Amino acid sequence: MKKGFAVAASMLLAAGCLAGCQKKQVQPGDVAGFDPGEQYLSLWVHSIEDTEEGQAYRQSVDRFNEVYNGKYFADIEFIPRNNSGGGYSDKVNASVMSGGLPDVLTVDGPNVAAYAANGIIQPLAELTLEERSIYLESILEQGTYQDKLYALGVMESSVGMYYNKDILKKAGIEVPEAGNPWTRTEFLEILEKLKPVMDEMGGYPLDMTFPVGEASIYYYAPFVWSDGGDLVSEDGLCVDGFFNSDEMVKAMGFFRTMVEKKYMSEAPIEHLFESGRAAFKFDGAWEVNTVYQNYPDIPLGVAPYVVGDDWDKGRYTPTGSWAYAASSNTENLEGATELVKWMSGVESGIRIWELSKTFPSTYEAFEQIDVFQTDENYRMLYEQLKEYGHPRPKTPVYPQVSTSFQQALESIALSGQDTKQVLDKSVERINAKLERYTRK
Amino acid sequence: MKKRSSSLLGMAFFGPALVLLTIFLFVPMVMTLIFSFTDYFALNPDLTHFVGLENYVKIFKDELFVQSFVNTVCFVLIILPCQGIGALGLALLINKVTHCKKYFKVAFFVPVVMSLAVVSTLWMQIYSPEGILNTLLGNIGISTQPFIHSARQALPSIAVMSVWQGVGYQMIIFLGGLQAINPGLYEAAEMDHASEWQKFKDITLPELKPLCVFVFITVTIGAFRMIVQPMVMTGGGPSHSTYTMVYNIYETGTVNWEIGLASTMAIVFAVFVMALTVIQSILTRDKEEKHVNKKAKRN
Repeated sequence: MKKGFAVAASMLLAAGCLAGCQKKQVQPGDVAGFDPGEQYLSLWVHSIEDTEEGQAYRQSVDRFNEVYNGKYFADIEFIPRNNSGGGYSDKVNASVMSGGLPDVLTVDGPNVAAYAANGIIQPLAELTLEERSIYLESILEQGTYQDKLYALGVMESSVGMYYNKDILKKAGIEVPEAGNPWTRTEFLEILEKLKPVMDEMGGYPLDMTFPVGEASIYYYAPFVWSDGGDLVSEDGLCVDGFFNSDEMVKAMGFFRTMVEKKYMSEAPIEHLFESGRAAFKFDGAWEVNTVYQNYPDIPLGVAPYVVGDDWDKGRYTPTGSWAYAASSNTENLEGATELVKWMSGVESGIRIWELSKTFPSTYEAFEQIDVFQTDENYRMLYEQLKEYGHPRPKTPVYPQVSTSFQQALESIALSGQDTKQVLDKSVERINAKLERYTRK
Repeated sequence: MKKRSSSLLGMAFFGPALVLLTIFLFVPMVMTLIFSFTDYFALNPDLTHFVGLENYVKIFKDELFVQSFVNTVCFVLIILPCQGIGALGLALLINKVTHCKKYFKVAFFVPVVMSLAVVSTLWMQIYSPEGILNTLLGNIGISTQPFIHSARQALPSIAVMSVWQGVGYQMIIFLGGLQAINPGLYEAAEMDHASEWQKFKDITLPELKPLCVFVFITVTIGAFRMIVQPMVMTGGGPSHSTYTMVYNIYETGTVNWEIGLASTMAIVFAVFVMALTVIQSILTRDKEEKHVNKKAKRN
C-alpha cells in the first residue's frame, strides 16, 4: 500500500513535469502584441536581457514586429549562457530530445557544422543574390555547411595584431601597408631587434599567451591557413594529413621559437601591452575600445596579421561569432528565414555596434558607422575582415579540434614536447570523435 | 488502525522529499547507468544504440581518461594529509589561544564561505608572475616560479590553494570535538605527570577518532570531486596536468556532447569512490572493534 502510494505520487509528478516540458501551441492574445492573422515565430538567444547585447536583440525583435505587423509575430526568449558554454547549449541539447526547439535559435559560428550534421538546424529558405550580397563573405562562409546556407549572424569579429607606435618608432621599425604583411621570417627578425629594447623596459616584444578555451584556435589558426595549410579536410570529416601536416608543424615550431627565445612570457603577465611593456599584442577587436577608454596614453596601431612565408594572398584572418539559424522543428521556414534575415540585417547590425560595440556583419552597416571611416585602427580591422576573413574549421567535431589545438600549443610551444608526436596523438583523439560521422 | 494513520503521517512528511529525491537523484542515477551502455549523443538522440561494454573498454584504453584518473588520485593524496593534519593542528592551536580566539576562528573559516570560483580567481593573481608570491620569493632571492603555468607545479599549486580554502571547515569540526572532551581526563593525566605529548597521544587522539574518520572520508570525497579550480585556473592544462575525472566527464558530456561515454566515466568514478569509502570505513571500524574487544578481554 505504502509502496503503491509512493510510486503513484512520483509518477504523477513525473507526468506533470513531462507535460510541462511539451511545447505549447501559442494562440493569438497569449503574448502581448500577437494578433489574430499573424504567424507566430519563437526565437531563442544566448544572452541576458539586461545586457547591452540583450537590449540590442530586444529592440531588433520589436522593430521586426512593427515592420511585419499583421504577418509575423516574433517572440524572443533570453537564455543566459555561462563562460564555458553551458546554460544555453544545455537547454538546446535538452530540447533536441524533448522536441521543444523554437523556430529560430542562435548558434555559435563553429558549431554550425555539428548542428547541421545532426539535423538540429535546417538550411534557410533560398536567398536572392541581392539579399546575399549585403553580407560579408566571412559571415556567409561561416553559415554554410556542405554548400547550403544554414546561418546568418548579426555580429562579426576580428583579431588585431596591435602595436605600440612609440616602441616601434624608437626601435626604427616600419609597419607595412595593409595587404603587404610581414612574413613569419621577417617578423622573427623584428622580434629579435626588439628584444634588447624590451629587456631594457622590463617587458617582452610580444604580449601573447595560449589561453584555454576558444581564443587559442581563433587567434593562431591563421598561422596555419596563411601557409596554405588547414586543420581539417574540406568536408570536415578527416584530420589525418591536415592537423598533423607540415604546415601545422611549421606553425607550432614558430610558436616554440617565440617561447624559447623569450619573445613572450611563458606565464601570462596581466596588462603587459596596456602598461607599455610590450611592442605587440594579439587580441580581439574589443581591445581597441579598451585601450581608447582605459589606456589613452598607449599609442595604438593595428598592423596587418603576420602571414606564412608561402602566403598566396588567400583569406586567413580570424572571424566568426554567434549566428541565427532556423531549427528543424520549424514548420514555417519562410517566416523563420525572414526573421533570420531581419535579425542579422543592416539595421540590427548598426544597433549591435551602437549598444555593445560588437562588429556588424554587413557591408552597409560598416559604411554607415562613422568610426570605421574615421578611425584608422577600426578601419584597418574592417579592411582585414572584409578582404582576408577566414572562418574557423567547419567540422561536426569542432569542439575537439579546438581543444586539441590549444593543448598542442601548450604541449609543444610551452612544454617543448615533440611536435609530430603531439600532433599525431591529437589526430587520434579527433578521429575517435569523428568515428560517429565516418561510419555512417 | 492507529498504526496505519501514523504510518500515513510519516509518509506525508517523507513523501515530498522522496519524490524530489526520486526525480533528481534516483532516476538520473539509473538513467546514467543505462546511458553508460549506449552511444547516446546529445545532438542526435534518435540514433542511440545499445553498445554493451564498448564504452567501458574504450575509456580504459583512453590515455586521457587514465591520466585524469591519476591526476585526481595524486590530488587526493596531497590534499588528504595536508588538510587533515592542518585542520587538527589549527584546531589545537586555537584551542590553546586565550586572546582573540573568535578572530582566529573567523579568519580561518572565511575562505570556506567564499565561492571556489572567487578563491580560484584570487589565487590566480597570487600565483601570477608579478603576483604577491613571486614578489615575496624574489625578495628572498628565489627566481620567478611559473606555478599554475607549468605542468610540474600546477597540480601542487592548486592543491595548496584548495587546502587553504577547505581547511577551516574541518578545523571547526575538530574544534567542536576538542571542546567536547571531558576535562577530567586531562586532570587525571596531569596528576600522573603525563607529558603534553602523552596527553595528546593517549587522550586527545583517541577521543577525536570518530571525528577523524568523518573528516578523512569527507575530505577524500570532496577532493575526488575537484573541477572548479582547474576549470577556472588552468583549463585542465598545461599538458593535461590538472585534468581531473569530473572535468573529463563534464567536457565529454557537455562540450563534446557524448553523453553515453560521459555516463560510463561517471559510473566508473562513482563505483571507485564508493568502494574507497567502504574500504575506509571498514578499515577504521575494524580497529575500533579490535580495540574494544581487547579491552573487554583484559577486564
